[in-house]
Amino acid sequence: MQPLIELENVVKAFGEHRAVDNVSLSINKGEKVVIIGPSGSGKSTLLRTINCLEPMDSGAMRFAGKPAGYVKRDGKLVPDKPKNICALRTRIGMVFQQFNLFPHMSVARNVMEGPVTVLGESKPRARETAMDMLGKVGMEGFADRYPASLSGGQKQRVAIARALAMKPEMILFDEPTSALDPELVGEVFDTIKQLAVEGMTMVIVTHNMGFAREIADTVIFMENGSFLAKGTPADFFDRQCDDPRVQSFIDKIF
Amino acid sequence: MALLLLFLCTVARAASPDELMRRAGDAMAAGDLDAAVELYMQVPAPDKNGDEGQFVNARMQAARLHFALKRFERAIEAVDSLLEVYPDNIEAKSYRGAVVDAMMPEWKKLLRDTVHFVPALLKGSLMTLLLVFFTMLVSPIGGLLIALGRISGIAAASRLCWFIIWIFRGTPLLLQLFFIYYGLPAIGITLKPIPSALIGLGLNYSAYLAEIIRSGIQSIDKGQMEAAQAMGMSYRQAMRRVIIPQTYRVILPPVTNEFIALIKDTALVSTIAMVELMRTADQLFNASFNVTVLALAACVYLMFTTVFTFAFERLERRVGAYEER
Repeated sequence: MQPLIELENVVKAFGEHRAVDNVSLSINKGEKVVIIGPSGSGKSTLLRTINCLEPMDSGAMRFAGKPAGYVKRDGKLVPDKPKNICALRTRIGMVFQQFNLFPHMSVARNVMEGPVTVLGESKPRARETAMDMLGKVGMEGFADRYPASLSGGQKQRVAIARALAMKPEMILFDEPTSALDPELVGEVFDTIKQLAVEGMTMVIVTHNMGFAREIADTVIFMENGSFLAKGTPADFFDRQCDDPRVQSFIDKIF
Repeated sequence: MALLLLFLCTVARAASPDELMRRAGDAMAAGDLDAAVELYMQVPAPDKNGDEGQFVNARMQAARLHFALKRFERAIEAVDSLLEVYPDNIEAKSYRGAVVDAMMPEWKKLLRDTVHFVPALLKGSLMTLLLVFFTMLVSPIGGLLIALGRISGIAAASRLCWFIIWIFRGTPLLLQLFFIYYGLPAIGITLKPIPSALIGLGLNYSAYLAEIIRSGIQSIDKGQMEAAQAMGMSYRQAMRRVIIPQTYRVILPPVTNEFIALIKDTALVSTIAMVELMRTADQLFNASFNVTVLALAACVYLMFTTVFTFAFERLERRVGAYEER
């Protein structure tokens, strides 16, 4: 089977510091990849190179079998034309740690915004889709509220509905529960889990071991910009890890 | 009999205008103003060959003395007795006007001046309003373009916009107006006063608003742009749909400030032959030396700034409402 997305030898440096250091990764359709690792290990940066929010310095990316996001110009890797990047982004949803809902729009407008502005859908149709997606995350009763009046967990569920409204082929979750109060983590976790069950391809960067244990097909442990370990959840949690650094990180979390 | 003769003699002597004038002068010198007034009033109207000047002089003297003693009604009587004989005497007529003026209570005078000046001032203020509304319409657009240029990341556009701001924010508006109206003809561009004023105000306020708008855009959390772009929006779409609408509530208070300054700054265009509120007030003042006209102009400016202040306060509440809902 052809992977949905392939990353090859991705390097992203901030000055001297190599945040992502020669990483390769291939994700199949429907696969759930959970990336764990200490803060500053490059997890989020890797995630952000996938939808070109953070342009990679070198490497290659293929989406659905075709080179995507970047082109070689004069032997240097540069981001593709804005139009092509926008098109790629419509196929890859993203959910942020800080939700980043649009505060000046109602919940329904937040979810409608992408379909209307980017895909050119009519407002009534976009509203219908939006209500479906809000229903999926259990937020249909809040359609006409504004983000400021929602709890963190509710905001994140709306943000997930917003990503879903674009009918993406995969979704990137950048620490989706890290900004939430502990008692609100559950509702967001359940929502993401339900998406996983429905077969959505996803990459989740998280400190929450629940994702790795319950949702992941593949768990990746990242440190200093590289993959230290990669395996199934069973590899990580059900037996002692070969690598003492990975084991000590997991021990610390639990 | 002899007594009667003496009396007649006295009357005859008193009736002589020259004698009356002389005695009135003496009375004045002696400080007996009442007596002087009586004597001046006795100077008769001249017959065909009589001395007109003496009569006019006497009655005017009487009027002035009454006036000096604050007996305004009697001063009017004195002038009227003169006008009865010479209805067209300009000196008497204008003096009568001045006395009537002095008799008028202050509030009545103010009311009369107001009624007199306000129509002209309001007419002038139409031009002021035109300048204000035009600049309010044009400068946010110009300011937005300059601000977007500044943060575009395109080096040439960024430098150009920086330069525009540097020039128009760094020199006096008055100088800019002079330059456009008096200076540009030197390089072959001659503009009428109105276009000169509109260009000057438009550019100056665009430069000021550009920095306000830029700071507004940069105050919006970076996550907003990322979220918009992550769903596939172009930079333009993200700016238009997500970033700029959020700046409104941030920039509205400083923009209100600028627009209120603008209302007053339009007064500067009176220096380039524009007839607006300030120039009208100036002209009326120079013709009348009546300070009321300046106070009235101040009231009109205050009225405008007050209306603007309240209008923008309402707008501010509406634009920021989503934070509380």
